[in-house]
Amino acid sequence: MANEKVDVVIVGAGASGSVFAAVLAQAGKKVVLLEQGPDWQLTDLISSDFWGRRIKPASGPFQLEGKNPFGYVYQAGWGVGGAALHYFANFPRLLPNDFKIKSEHGRALDWPISYSDVAPYYDKVAQDVGVAGDAKAEEIWRPAGQPYPMPPMKTFRHGEVWRKGCEAAGIRLVPAAVGMNSTEYKGRPACLYDGWCHVGCPIGALANPLVTYLRDAKKAGAEVRAHATVTRVLTNPQGTRATAVEYYDAKKERQVQEASVVVLAAWSAQNPRILLNSTTDKHAKGLANASGLVGKYMMAHFSSGTWALFDEDIQNHLGTTGAQFMSYERYGKTSQKGAFGSSFITAGSALKTSDLGGFANARLDLFGPDLAAFMKRAARGLTRIGAFGEELPNIENRIELVSDKDELGMPLARIVHSFDQDAVALWNANFEEGLKIAKATDAKEVWSALGNMPTIHLMGGTIMGTEAGNSVTDSYGQTHELPNLYVAGPGIFATAGASNPTYTILALSLRGAEQLSRTWSTVAG
Amino acid sequence: MQDMQRRALLKGAAAGALAFSVGGAEVLLTPRAARAQGVPLRTLSAAQAATLAALGETLVPGARAAGISHFVDQQISIPAEEALLEARILNVRPPYANFYRAALGAVDRASQGRHGGREFAQLGEAEQRSLVDSMRQGKVEGWQGPPGPFVYLLLRSDAVDVVYGTMDGYAALGIPYQPHIAPTRSW
Repeated sequence: MANEKVDVVIVGAGASGSVFAAVLAQAGKKVVLLEQGPDWQLTDLISSDFWGRRIKPASGPFQLEGKNPFGYVYQAGWGVGGAALHYFANFPRLLPNDFKIKSEHGRALDWPISYSDVAPYYDKVAQDVGVAGDAKAEEIWRPAGQPYPMPPMKTFRHGEVWRKGCEAAGIRLVPAAVGMNSTEYKGRPACLYDGWCHVGCPIGALANPLVTYLRDAKKAGAEVRAHATVTRVLTNPQGTRATAVEYYDAKKERQVQEASVVVLAAWSAQNPRILLNSTTDKHAKGLANASGLVGKYMMAHFSSGTWALFDEDIQNHLGTTGAQFMSYERYGKTSQKGAFGSSFITAGSALKTSDLGGFANARLDLFGPDLAAFMKRAARGLTRIGAFGEELPNIENRIELVSDKDELGMPLARIVHSFDQDAVALWNANFEEGLKIAKATDAKEVWSALGNMPTIHLMGGTIMGTEAGNSVTDSYGQTHELPNLYVAGPGIFATAGASNPTYTILALSLRGAEQLSRTWSTVAG
Repeated sequence: MQDMQRRALLKGAAAGALAFSVGGAEVLLTPRAARAQGVPLRTLSAAQAATLAALGETLVPGARAAGISHFVDQQISIPAEEALLEARILNVRPPYANFYRAALGAVDRASQGRHGGREFAQLGEAEQRSLVDSMRQGKVEGWQGPPGPFVYLLLRSDAVDVVYGTMDGYAALGIPYQPHIAPTRSW
């Protein structure tokens, strides 16, 4: 059965795809979103660590290689809402120093835009989805902007206990900016502080796509097709324009969806896989890949966590999975001696017992009766402070196709990823500082969350830049080679910063989608 | 149609229990109840289930009675995309049964090598603890199978799930569970 041609086909119904869908559907375009996983509803979001795993992929098409293999599933999405269905909704932003690292330090890459180009979209997104926080307080580290639409979230003892230690270390904490409702907002209720954000918020207090941009998109007529796995972008015989995408539906039957504009919003790993699989005689290396940069410059964050165990009941089951407090005090690229890159500090996450972030994993060395005794103490007195670190873009960290194929006949891909010395040095420096902070609190015991160096958030692979020679897309996500082919999401970041990426994903997507809408007749042809 | 079946299945999931086969019919039970009722295993052999129960109990006291063997057996018998296992988060490639068979086999071989042919379930508590501690550190000589520290991490997570991840587990620790949408049974 042939599918009727649409104005826009969007691959992926997560954070970035939902923004494009909302903007373009509201501009009167006929929009279809193709989503690989199920059509999750709010009522599917059961408050349980193991039931919550259903909204993540069960198996990815990626082989994980390199010194620090990219364990991506924990932060990946599977189904409508994408990873933003279970994200923590921490909403720090990138800062001005992220956009010009090459110019200012002679390292990494420059973005083709500045903070001032993105700032208005941070403000717009805050109004659209609802952000709680204290913008004025943050402005000790960044240029002034609009206030957030809601006051900061409530705080709890397990966050407040970090104030003393941070003060001693000269680290100013401010209320964390979060995509959550501290008050009722646009008909969505205020947060209940139950700490189940990470398995999905079914009341809509947390700004997931189902209650924000995707809801707006559907209201404006956008269609979501679940269980639709896109394998290729198709082009005209001249290879000058994208014409359609090929996908396989729930019955594993091949479908083609023609569109005037194609937006790839299937996450940093899958977008390159689709582009590399879309070879033609005109695009022998894959689409938008004349530069050979598709799949290159994959970036991660890493976290240095420090645990502190208190005798008092600090109510660590209350709050949100994200953070109560944040600090950009170590965001300067040379803040940590002997290391390079930004660090972003958060404190005060609600804790649950199990899963990767559960407090059973705070002492991985313990088992048997020792673990049982620890669990009792931790249930009341454990808390954590963490610092995200920035990994610089490295062309060797990459995604490439391999000869093995998935059940649809699409080649699998490998993600090759290794941290360099700068990243390791920053990771260690942040552990040292975390321990210093923790020792200056009233905690009874403190320790570093050592272990394998974690890979958190996945960025790059289709980076933006000034021209086809140094990048895959421009700052709007429009590919240099095919004017009606866009890439959305963290894949277009030129550098990673140290801030949780979703706020920036939303801001860049809004900027890209509005540009596409403004220039529609030129782009769509 | 497939989507409708999926919805029905997820509704079952929302009921909080897992689907076990009893006398040819599917019934929803917690793993603890499935174990207590002696529900037949689907994928694991009796010996593998015994190893898993003993290993789970060594890792997290209470895991045997909480039904870790029935939990894992049921979970590796259903399509990977419906599974609730930590294996999913730790990037284990499906089918997950392959990992569990390899891991349990490695543990038993290590036990037999160290203790004159006795499988892990037949060891005394001190011997079990000592073997697990070596496995945790990747220090079992002649280990054959998935890396010992990874087997430790994953099976420890399963044991934590069945003992501490349930509403009962929270109650035992005195932590208010506070669900938005509760599993309707205590599992």
